[in-house]
Amino acid sequence: MKSRMKFLSVIMLALVLVLSACGNGSAESDYPSKNVEIVAPATPGGGWDATARALQNVLDEEGLVEQNMNVVNKPGGGGEVGWQYLKGKDSHSLSINSSLVIANNLLGQSDLTYEDFTPLAVLATEWISVAVPSDSDIEDGVDMLERLKEDPKSLKIAVGPALGNNDHLSFVRVADEYGVDVSQLEFMIYESGGDVLTALLGGHVDVATLSISESLEQHLSGNLDIIATTADEPIPEDESIESWQDQGIDFTFPHWRGIMGPPDMTEEEIAYWDETFSEMVESEEWQKVLDNNGWQDYYMNSEETKAFLDEQNEMYEDLMKTAGLTE
Amino acid sequence: MGVDWNSFLEGFTTAMSFQNLIFIIIGGLLGTVVGMLPGLGPATAVAVLIPITFGMDSTSALILLGAIYYGAMYGGSRSSILINTPGDGSAIAATFDGYPMTRKGQAGQALTLSTLASLVGGFVAIIGFVFLAKPLASFALQFGPAEYFFLLVFTLSAVVSLSKGNMIKGFVSMVLGLLITTIGVDSQSGVYRYTFDIPHLSEGIDFLVVIIGIYAVGEVLYNILLINNEDQRIKDDVGRSWITKEQWTRSFWPMVRQAPVGFLVGILPGAGGSIASMISYSTEQQLSKKSDEFGKGAPEGVAAPESSNNAAAVGAFIPLLTMGIPGSGTTAVILGALIMLGLQPGPMLFQDQPDVAWTFINSLFIGNIVLVIMNILLIGFLIKILKTPPHVLYPIILVLAFIGTYTLGYSIIDFFILVIFGIIGLFMKILNIPTAPLILAVIIGHQMEQNYRMASVSYDGLWAMITASPIAILFAVLTVASIFLPALFNRLSRVKVDNKG
Amino acid sequence: MEIIRFIVPSIILLISVIYLILTFNLPESKVGNPTAAMNYPLLIGFSLLGLSILYILSEIKDRKKIFEAYKIFSDRELTIKVIIVLVLCLGYTFIFERIGFLISTILFLGALLFLINGRRKWLMNIIVTILFSFISWYTFAELLSVSLP
Repeated sequence: MKSRMKFLSVIMLALVLVLSACGNGSAESDYPSKNVEIVAPATPGGGWDATARALQNVLDEEGLVEQNMNVVNKPGGGGEVGWQYLKGKDSHSLSINSSLVIANNLLGQSDLTYEDFTPLAVLATEWISVAVPSDSDIEDGVDMLERLKEDPKSLKIAVGPALGNNDHLSFVRVADEYGVDVSQLEFMIYESGGDVLTALLGGHVDVATLSISESLEQHLSGNLDIIATTADEPIPEDESIESWQDQGIDFTFPHWRGIMGPPDMTEEEIAYWDETFSEMVESEEWQKVLDNNGWQDYYMNSEETKAFLDEQNEMYEDLMKTAGLTE
Repeated sequence: MGVDWNSFLEGFTTAMSFQNLIFIIIGGLLGTVVGMLPGLGPATAVAVLIPITFGMDSTSALILLGAIYYGAMYGGSRSSILINTPGDGSAIAATFDGYPMTRKGQAGQALTLSTLASLVGGFVAIIGFVFLAKPLASFALQFGPAEYFFLLVFTLSAVVSLSKGNMIKGFVSMVLGLLITTIGVDSQSGVYRYTFDIPHLSEGIDFLVVIIGIYAVGEVLYNILLINNEDQRIKDDVGRSWITKEQWTRSFWPMVRQAPVGFLVGILPGAGGSIASMISYSTEQQLSKKSDEFGKGAPEGVAAPESSNNAAAVGAFIPLLTMGIPGSGTTAVILGALIMLGLQPGPMLFQDQPDVAWTFINSLFIGNIVLVIMNILLIGFLIKILKTPPHVLYPIILVLAFIGTYTLGYSIIDFFILVIFGIIGLFMKILNIPTAPLILAVIIGHQMEQNYRMASVSYDGLWAMITASPIAILFAVLTVASIFLPALFNRLSRVKVDNKG
Repeated sequence: MEIIRFIVPSIILLISVIYLILTFNLPESKVGNPTAAMNYPLLIGFSLLGLSILYILSEIKDRKKIFEAYKIFSDRELTIKVIIVLVLCLGYTFIFERIGFLISTILFLGALLFLINGRRKWLMNIIVTILFSFISWYTFAELLSVSLP
């Protein structure tokens, strides 16, 4: 009898130990409990890789995440490969994303949707510009739209690196709203933003649509003119640059970057990252990253991000149809 | 552009500061080592070493990255010459005569020659950079889709024309290469071509995987078949490392005259070292009185492309620094790193921060000298690689080929592609099908199609494209010449021989 | 005349035919000219078709000449070795991401060395394998922070 009691109590003790160990494991204070992996769905040196490494650097230097952080490169298929990889991981893996997580699915290039993941934050945005060579006789954005309305084939428009990206879609959107027959527009697709710039500077195209960070330097030195932007605020370096809004067209379009986790993250885990990222975006180090890259702060927490993605999804669905990319 | 001598001298002293000199040496050494590994060319070398620059001031970071780039260029040709495994497109031409020299037991001399040629190429280009950066940058802007298209066609035809007496095989090789580049999403229309729903293929097949497959894997397979064959063994005797007077006189002019060629090609955004070295190699072969020796270990066959691709590497910095436009894969990576560090290369750089720009140019100059000393000292050590018994060396090359491939795309799908191209490389070697046209086509095929497509939107028909500008006409004429002139010369010389006989 | 001299040209012919079939079945482009994505591949496909036929014709012309390119495979033992190397490469591909870089590389390099360098030099094989695998792992994963599985 006595031995049986002893046996039972040992079992009880063991149970308690095991349970408490489990309890500890899932307690909020212990997450993250191992190395955190940031998936950059691109090769080293690319834009997403730069974002991932900047994030890793700032979080580490500010001491916001105690665990080690690694950047993992999973390039391919416009983010597809990296996000497939993320889907199978636990909550210690996060990935950089952008509107492609929505667009790939809508274009039928991916089975993954943004709803397959846990949205954590939108971090930053760039605005998109429309530029012409400095000797062009196009006066402003409206003048260009007017010409395209008359003859959609009259201007050659450079865009890079792929159809269906934000530079392309934002242009289509604003042209469509103005009443241009967008199915007739003549786009020339270049390998990169740099090539778009070269083509424009060399006068091989009439108009280019590219992010402001790519065109601003040339605009300031007088080699080209930015005739419109998708921004909702003046550009600090040159406040005379007019946005579409300034020209009486109600249109803004952010080219955002965010971060998301694998499916099924717990409330605590999401709360942890909300706290971490909201602190990070306040830091000076992060401000420096934004400045260097020509990005604007666009922080949204996980809840806002979710609502934002729903809204974006609807917008893109509409947009793809207009651009003639989907039926 | 008036050269701002004050800034120039100031830049020179900054670049010579102890700290920056150390960065040049470290960067050069790291670049050389990484560049020597198969598959790790300058672009990858710079990309994986970027984290080192975090927290550095931007001038030093630029110097370090430049030195890594340079080191990797030097390193890439080491592995081309010693084990026939180029690390990057621009090092391919070094295999044509460099590896045959190694087989003849002249590895040391081939390495010295390529180092000296790189130095000459680098120097000529840096001088060009100092005096001509701005006008040349605007010259590069003249290249629209039609001009690029004909430049690329000319490069292809120049390389195919190397396969004298073997034209059918040369063209087969080229067209196969072009075929490979149609895999992936088509930029102009967004249509997915031949991707079989594999996401990894949507961006096409990385040309570096093809290079590693055909050269490293194919070469190893071929050598295993001949492992018992004594004649095929690389001579253990690696020869003297200093070059002979004859080798020097034969290579001197090719080195000097191909440097400007490489420099000009390097300035064109998107062209770069592969095209420069191929054009230089083929023109030297056409010009040479001993063109039969090309491909069998002619010293000028090593010197010309090595001088040219190094000059192109300097040239690629012109659009980067004066316009903020990267002219090659590597400079694109460097641009990304500089932006992260808060330095915006572009038209304002020479105005706002002339010290940064001139310090960098001077560091290129110093870096070249440092690298030459370093590489000549390294020769003795490097040729020890050849003393490794082939039974051990080949397995190691194979494993390195796989690792190098993984760092390119982080996907095992590339491993399958690597093995397939290894087998293709083996059969091409056995059947004596030239590999250079295929490789070059894989490197430039995608650009060629896209430029052709854009040109056909801008111009109505082929004739309008050719007559688009004097540059387009020039390259169209050169294309025709490169194909028919050798045949014509051949016939003429045969007639002469016949007359004598 | 030997049939084997036609093997590779015929394979190239086959590739061009398959490629052309795939090209004709490409989806139409949704933007701009619907056949734009197809024209250039068609050009390449037909060029390859033509060239492979020329290649076959040139082999027919040369049929009297001795064809000894494949003599290289006459050493049966070495040919089998090459095939085993290829099988090992595929094996490495399959295990690389499953069991991680270090172990799979040790297995792969070890197997290659035993195959090519021979069993008699087992000590050297093992030393080279372990040393090389660790050094390369350390260089890539730690020094260059390349993400290896």
